[in-house]
Amino acid sequence: MTLLIALAILHITIRGKAGIMEISKQFDAPIETKLRSRVTGGFIVAVLLTVFIGFSSWRSVQLAADHADWVAHTYSVMDALQLTARHAIEVESSARTFAWTGQDALLTQYETARGSVSQDENALRHLTADNPDQQRRLDALEPQLRAVLQSAARIIAKGRQMPAGPGAGELLETEKLMDSVRTTIQEMHAEEMQLLSQRTQRTKTGRRWTTFIVVIGIFVGTGLLMLAGLGVNREIDVSARARAHIRTLNAELEQRVEQRTAALQSEITVRNQAQAALQETQEGFRVLVDGVKEYAIYMLDPEGRVISWNAGAARIKGYRSEEILGKDFSRFYKAEDLEAGKPARELKESLSKGRFEDEGWRVRKDGSAFWANVVITPMYDDRGNHRGFSKIARDISERKRAEETLAGQAEELARQAAELARSRQALEAKSLMLQSVLDSMAEGLAAADEQGKFLIWNRAAENIMGYGPADLATKEWSEHYGTYLPDGITPFPTEQLPLVRAIHGEVSSSEIFVRNPKITGGAWIEVRGGPLKDKEGVIRGGVVAFRDITQRKADEREIQKLNDELEHRVVERTAQLETANKELEAFSYSVSHDLRAPLRHIGGFSKLLMEEFGPSLNPEAQRHVERIQAGTQKMGLLIDELLNLARVGRHALNLQPTGLNSIVAEVIAILQPESEGRQVKWDISELPAVECDPILIKQVFQNLLANALKFTRPCFGADGSARVSMPAGTSHAVIEVSHKEEDGQPVFMVRDNGVGFSMKYVDKLFGVFQRLHSTDEFEGTGIGLVTVQRIVHKHGGRVWAEGEPDKGATFYFTLGVGKQAESKSNAATAGGQS
Amino acid sequence: MNFGKLDILLVEDNQDDMDLALHALKQGKLANNIVVARDGEEALDFLFCRGAFAHRSFDHPPKLVLLDLKLPKVDGMEVLKQVKSDPRTRTIPIVIMTSSKEERDLVAGYNLGANSYIQKPVDFDQFRETVKSIGLYWLVINQPAPTSLVHKMAEAELISG
Repeated sequence: MTLLIALAILHITIRGKAGIMEISKQFDAPIETKLRSRVTGGFIVAVLLTVFIGFSSWRSVQLAADHADWVAHTYSVMDALQLTARHAIEVESSARTFAWTGQDALLTQYETARGSVSQDENALRHLTADNPDQQRRLDALEPQLRAVLQSAARIIAKGRQMPAGPGAGELLETEKLMDSVRTTIQEMHAEEMQLLSQRTQRTKTGRRWTTFIVVIGIFVGTGLLMLAGLGVNREIDVSARARAHIRTLNAELEQRVEQRTAALQSEITVRNQAQAALQETQEGFRVLVDGVKEYAIYMLDPEGRVISWNAGAARIKGYRSEEILGKDFSRFYKAEDLEAGKPARELKESLSKGRFEDEGWRVRKDGSAFWANVVITPMYDDRGNHRGFSKIARDISERKRAEETLAGQAEELARQAAELARSRQALEAKSLMLQSVLDSMAEGLAAADEQGKFLIWNRAAENIMGYGPADLATKEWSEHYGTYLPDGITPFPTEQLPLVRAIHGEVSSSEIFVRNPKITGGAWIEVRGGPLKDKEGVIRGGVVAFRDITQRKADEREIQKLNDELEHRVVERTAQLETANKELEAFSYSVSHDLRAPLRHIGGFSKLLMEEFGPSLNPEAQRHVERIQAGTQKMGLLIDELLNLARVGRHALNLQPTGLNSIVAEVIAILQPESEGRQVKWDISELPAVECDPILIKQVFQNLLANALKFTRPCFGADGSARVSMPAGTSHAVIEVSHKEEDGQPVFMVRDNGVGFSMKYVDKLFGVFQRLHSTDEFEGTGIGLVTVQRIVHKHGGRVWAEGEPDKGATFYFTLGVGKQAESKSNAATAGGQS
Repeated sequence: MNFGKLDILLVEDNQDDMDLALHALKQGKLANNIVVARDGEEALDFLFCRGAFAHRSFDHPPKLVLLDLKLPKVDGMEVLKQVKSDPRTRTIPIVIMTSSKEERDLVAGYNLGANSYIQKPVDFDQFRETVKSIGLYWLVINQPAPTSLVHKMAEAELISG
C-alpha cells in the first residue's frame, strides 16, 4: 500500500513537472489550477497517511496494554482458584485433624479457612464476571464447596461430642466431595490457562504489528521527505527554466514590438501612398465620368441641388456646368410632373429603397422634352451620413421611337403572313407544275430519303427501268431492278449504286446494264447521282438522273471498231511514212554526196580549163566556160538549200526558252560581210524570250534578214545604171525587227524599206523555187522563204507578208505558244504510236 | 618510190576528185611525196604495212592522210576506226575530205578520232584554198609525234594489252 502511495506521489510530481513544462510553453490558467489541485491532493494524502500511521501506532500500543491487563487478570483468576482450592483443603484437613486430636487450636484454623473460602468464592465470581463459561462452572463449584464446608462442620460437631476420630464413611464422603471440588477447579484452571495462552499470543501479535507499523511509518515518513525534497528541487529547476524562458520571451516580444512598429510605420507609408493613389483614382474616375457623353451623370446634395455635372449631362440636358451647379434639379421635369411633386417623390423613394429607376419625359434647357431612363442612388459617407444623390440619366428617345415602330412592324408581320399563305398556294401550284415537268422529262429522275424511301420516280424513270418505285430496302434494289456491271453478268453491287452512294453523300456516275422481265433485250443506262442536302448542308437523301444510252453504246461500239481499223491503218501508214522518210534521207545523202561530186568536177575542170588554156580560147569559148562555172555554182547553192530544207523537215524540235535578241544579234554579225560598204540601219527593238528551237529560229531570222538586206540593195542593170531606185528620200537601208501582241501571243516582224512587192503575187512568196524578181536583179534560189515557212509551221506558228512595190516589205510570223506547239507534237506522237 | 620521205596519203576512189586534189596540191607545191590509195583496203594495207606494202615500216608513217568517206571495199569510216584504234597508227593525222556535210557523218568522224573534217567545196577556187591550207598546216606547221617513241610505246602497249 505504501508503495502504491509512493508511486502515486511520484506520478503527481512527474505530472506536475510536465504541467510546468506545459506552462513554460504557454501560460495557461486552467492548467495551473489543475496542477494546484493535484499538489493539494498529494499533500492531503501525505497528511492522511501520517495521521493513519500515528493512529495505528497509538492503537497498537493501546491494544498491547489491554492485552497485558488481560494476561494479569487471567493470572489473578488462576491465583484465586488456587487459593480457593487450598482453603477448601485446609478446611477439610483442619476439621479432620480436630476430630482426631481434639485440639482447639485447630478449630481456629478451621474457622479462618472457612471464612477464606467464602471470600474466595466472592472474589472468583467477581473476577470471572466477563466469562460466562467460568461463571457457569463457578455455579457448579459453589454447591460443591458448601457441601465440603457442611461435611467439615459435621466432622467438627462429632469430634466435640466424642473425641474418637471420624469414621471411615465420613472420611470417604469428604474425600469424594473434595475430589469434585478439585475437578471443577482444575477445569476452571485449565480454562484460564487456555485463555492465558490466547491472550499472551494476542499480546505478542499486537506487539509485532505495532513494531511493523512504527518501522513502516519511519520509512514512509523518510520517503515522503525525500520526495518532497526532490519535488522542491525540481520545482526550483523548473521555475529557473521558466524564468529564463520568460526572459527569452520578453526579448522576443520586445523585438516583435520593434518589428511591428516598423511594419506599422511602413504600413502607414503604404497607406499614405494608397491614399494618394485613391485620390488619383478618384480624380481619374471623375475625369472618366466627366468624359462620358452617352450618360448624364451628376450629383445632388440632400436638398436636390446639383453639385456635379459631366459632359454627358451637358450634352443631354443642354446646361453648361456653371449654369446648373447649385440649381435645383426639379427644372429637369415637365410642369405637370412638378405639380404632381414627382422630383421630391423620386428622391424619397431612392432613400427608402436604396435605388430609384424610372423612364419618363424630361426637359432640356431649351424646353424640348426627351424620353429618359433615370437611376437615382443615395450617397452616404463612411459614417453613414446621407450626403446626397447620384443621378444617371440616359436619352432613350430613339428606343422609345423604336418601340413605337415595333407596333407598326407587328401589323406588317400580319400582312406578310397573309402573303405567305398566298405564296404557299403558289408553291402548291408550282409543285404541281414540277410534277408535270418531271413527268415530261426524257431523263429518268429518282430521289430517295436517307432511309431509301423513294420521294420522286418520274415517268421516264419507270419507262427506262421497267418498274415503278420499289418499297424495298436499298440492298434489294439491284436484284429488283436487275442491274448489272458493264460485263452484263455480275450483279451491280448495291452499295455502289449511284443512288445508294448519293444517300451516303457521294457524287458519282456509272454506266449500268439493266436486264429484267419488263425490258426486252436489256438496256444500258448512264446514271449520275448526288446527295440531297438541306439548307444546313445535312444530307437528307439522294437524287439520281439517268438516261437510256443503249443506242449510244451501240454507236460507241461501232466507233470503237472504226477506231481500231483507223488505228491499224495509221500504223500501216506510219510504217510506210517511215520507209519513205528513210528513202528520203538516203536520197538527201546521195544528193549531198553524189550529186555534188560531178558538179564539183565540172566546176573544177572548167576552172582549170580557163586557167591553163584560157589564153588560147577565143572570147566566146571563154564566156561559155564562165557560164558553165556560174551554172555550177548556182547548182551547188540549190543543192545546199534543198538539203537544208530537207534537214529542217527531219529535224526534231528541241524547244527551250530562248532570248530572240541574242539570236538576231548573231545573225546580223553573220550577215556583216554582205552589208559591207553599205549604209544599213538596224532597228532592233526589245524582243521577248520564247519557247522555240534556237537553231531553227536562227535560220528563220537569217533568211528574213538576208532577204531584207538583199532587197534594200541598190540594183544596177547590166549597163551600170540603176534599174530599181531606192524609195524617194531614203538614201540608206533601214531594217526593223520588232514584235507586237496579237490574240495573246507575240507576232514578230521584219520590215525593210527595200523594193517591196505587189500583193498580187503574195501567194507565190512561199512556194518552192518561186521568185518575184529575176536573178539578174536579185540572186536567190526561191527556197529561203519556204524554209522559213516550214520552220514556223513546225513551231505551230504562222508566217505571212505585206508589201508594196518600192515601199518595202514586212514579214510577220508567230511561233504559237510553247504549249500549243508541244501539244501538237504530242498529238502527232500519240497518233504515230497508236 | 621513196616512202621514207612520204608526206601525204590521199585515199580517193574517184579519178576526177583525185586529179583535182592532186592538181590543187601541186599548185600549192605540196605534191612532192604523195601516195594515192584507191580504196579502203589499199589504204589500210599501206598504213599497216601489209599485203602489197609489207615492205614498209611503221617508222615512216605519212604526215597526213586525206580520207574520202565513200570508198569501195572498206569505207572511209572503217579505215578511220582501224587506224585510230591501233597504237601504232593512231598518231597519224587523218583529215576527212568528203562531199557530205551530213551532221551524222561529222559526228561519227570526230567520234572515231578524225583530226579534221572538211567538205569539198563545189567552187574550185575554194577547194584549192582549202587543200592548200590543210597541206600547209599539217606538213609545215604541225609538229608530228616522234615515230621511234610512238613505236616503242605501241609495242609496250601491245605486249601488255
